[in-house]
Amino acid sequence: MDPHPPDAAAPEASPAPVKLEFSEVAKSFEHDSQTVAALRPVSLRVHAGEFVVLFGPSGCGKSTLLNLVAGFETPTSGTITLDGKAIDGPGNDRLMMFQEHALFPWLNVIDNVMYGLRWEPGFRFRPHARRRKALELLHLVHLDEFAKSSIHELSGGMRQRVALARALAPDPKVLLIDEPFPALDALVRAKLYIELQDILVRTHKTIMSVTHDPREAACLGDRVVIFTGRPGRIRSEVRVDLPRPRDINSPEVAEHAGRINAQLEAANEEPSGSEA
Amino acid sequence: MKNHPDRRHKWYVLGFYLLLFAVWQLVFSLELAPDYLFPSPLQVARRLTELALDGMLWPSIKTTLSRMAIGFTIAAGIGLLIGLLMGVSRIVNGCLKSLFLGFQSLPTAAWMPISLLLFGLSDHGIYFVIIMSSVAAIAISTSDGIHRIPPLYLRAARTLGTPAYAMPVRVILPAALPGIVTGIKLGWTLGWHGAVSAELIKSSVGLGYLLYMGRELNDAAQVLGIMMLTILFGLLLDRFLFGLIEQRIRRRWGLAGES
Repeated sequence: MDPHPPDAAAPEASPAPVKLEFSEVAKSFEHDSQTVAALRPVSLRVHAGEFVVLFGPSGCGKSTLLNLVAGFETPTSGTITLDGKAIDGPGNDRLMMFQEHALFPWLNVIDNVMYGLRWEPGFRFRPHARRRKALELLHLVHLDEFAKSSIHELSGGMRQRVALARALAPDPKVLLIDEPFPALDALVRAKLYIELQDILVRTHKTIMSVTHDPREAACLGDRVVIFTGRPGRIRSEVRVDLPRPRDINSPEVAEHAGRINAQLEAANEEPSGSEA
Repeated sequence: MKNHPDRRHKWYVLGFYLLLFAVWQLVFSLELAPDYLFPSPLQVARRLTELALDGMLWPSIKTTLSRMAIGFTIAAGIGLLIGLLMGVSRIVNGCLKSLFLGFQSLPTAAWMPISLLLFGLSDHGIYFVIIMSSVAAIAISTSDGIHRIPPLYLRAARTLGTPAYAMPVRVILPAALPGIVTGIKLGWTLGWHGAVSAELIKSSVGLGYLLYMGRELNDAAQVLGIMMLTILFGLLLDRFLFGLIEQRIRRRWGLAGES
């Protein structure tokens, strides 16, 4: 299950071990007795502690790839491994922070954050340990005083922070983020990007996220993988070596965003170009 | 939270009822029918006071309500369980949905003859009518509530490691709560119909019995008075108990518009 030595094809020889490995992963869906390819064979490596952003237009298969990692769907061909083990169904070693907030309205903030710990080996039957961990995470996302609030009392930005805390609670090996902060106003978003990076630096999480916003990609990613559409495939990669936390409104981020966008546009002009 | 258009609306409602009583009194004073057939609001109020002073009224209300409390609790338990099964299994849903929709088209009073045959004049028959009148509505609303759960909740629950055995209690029932409460509310109303109809025929105490006695004694004031009380208690519990719970849940679940 481990075909290649870790850093054989890694760009700019990253020292960290490979966390996620996609080899020739393809996905097609049955639609009206027709097979529609959503994702052409994709190979990609994500290293431990790396933030990889999948960037591309809607319908390019980037969300499909994320769902494959989460285990909601299974690849039509190819394999995905996490720490060398093939992925088989959903599991809390790969947690998804959803596009819309998927917090449970019947639980208050802290119960939402604790929810995923209930079945964790170290936390089973230990409600106090669960609560302690949840409080730590709420502190990390600056929501200490909202532990007892109900979800509907929170603003959109606060809900996303609770969702982040909930996804971090079971200490997943990989955090998956599907369009992190779509329905928020620009000011709140800019602040959340800083916070998110701050948290990530502290937790050293391996992260894959999906976006169609080049600025978001440049702001968050160590590496931005550019997809082209229908069926999706990887067009190229852009490395972003800016110090963190990065401000989404800074000129450096804007410059990288421009490069990322240019790659996508170049790809659209040559519809069936080939790239490994 | 409540703003003034709401409060003004309340005054209109109060005005409407005052007008209704005024019209009633007016029609009465035209003397179109003798007063033992068409009593005035005052006569109704007087008769209700008499019943209350005779110690007839309060025990009757208490009996009907306690019958409802027992019968409806059983109905809610059965309805929730069947609704849960219908919600998680397509096959169970396919089989039971048409049957329960059929039950719902049956007037509650139509359960009386079979109840008399099965249970005679015992109280069990009243519980039977209450349960049969309300179980279908509760089960159908519960299963509909489960079918309407946003798939996002289920996905989130699965990634967060919820084992299959814990799903009903931890996720499915709470997520379906808005639908369940609607079902409980509807079931309560139907059960109330059932309870009063059953008491009409086979009881010696209760609101339905007082209604029946009123007719036996040609006492239109008592009949109207008890009808009004039946409406009042049905409405109070529906609106103010279940209605408020439903409103709170809908707001918390983000289903109602927050102003």
